[in-house]
Amino acid sequence: MPCASAACGLRRTLPATLEAIEAFLIEFKRSACPAERADRFAAELLLREALTNAVVHGCRSDANKQIRCAVRFSPAVLLIRVKDDGEGFDWRSAQRCGASLTECSGRGLEILRCYATHVRFNNKGNVLTILKRFKKGKPQ
Amino acid sequence: MILVTRDNNKTTVRPDGEDIVAATLQELRAKMREIVAEGARELVIDLSTVRMVDSSGIGLLISAYNTLQKAGGQLAVIHASADLLELFQTLRMHQHFSVSGD
Repeated sequence: MPCASAACGLRRTLPATLEAIEAFLIEFKRSACPAERADRFAAELLLREALTNAVVHGCRSDANKQIRCAVRFSPAVLLIRVKDDGEGFDWRSAQRCGASLTECSGRGLEILRCYATHVRFNNKGNVLTILKRFKKGKPQ
Repeated sequence: MILVTRDNNKTTVRPDGEDIVAATLQELRAKMREIVAEGARELVIDLSTVRMVDSSGIGLLISAYNTLQKAGGQLAVIHASADLLELFQTLRMHQHFSVSGD
């Protein structure tokens, strides 16, 4: 059931598969707080990109590996923390390079940068924390 | 389900009720490759029933655009929702191909 004002949260350990991500996203969408359509879209997109990044780049789609995901959300704020079992990656280099206009990959980080208020990786690159403040909630 | 309609040189693909995301885009990728391999040069992607496109879906559209451009063709995206229009504009997709809304 959607929460009206108080913060809600989900915490799950998932196998590193795209199917597991989809199941978790269905659960998230059933309970997600933002009232505005555009905010709900942004919240799902950010969570989707964080989880896909962990599965595809972090765990190389190895279903034997796991992803730990914690999401807290209120009508004003979304906080996502995703940790994967992988070796990490050079996020500094990836952020510097970005995707050229005609490249088919590399837009996940760009989406995170454009839609999130703050994005942070740990040093190793296997823990991603995202903060999103919603415009229609409390002022930033 | 993916609906394909052909009108002269224009082929329109409508992924009916499917998000274009990493977990679900394999079928759409295969269908688009098949259509381009058959010689289609004007490809239209109808997003009227698509709610979400993620970075993998964006990559699929860019890949189709690159292939068609090399062959002298073109790609257009139509009936994108307000959220998808904003996403495409944020990622400057309109610099590649035509993107229009509902």
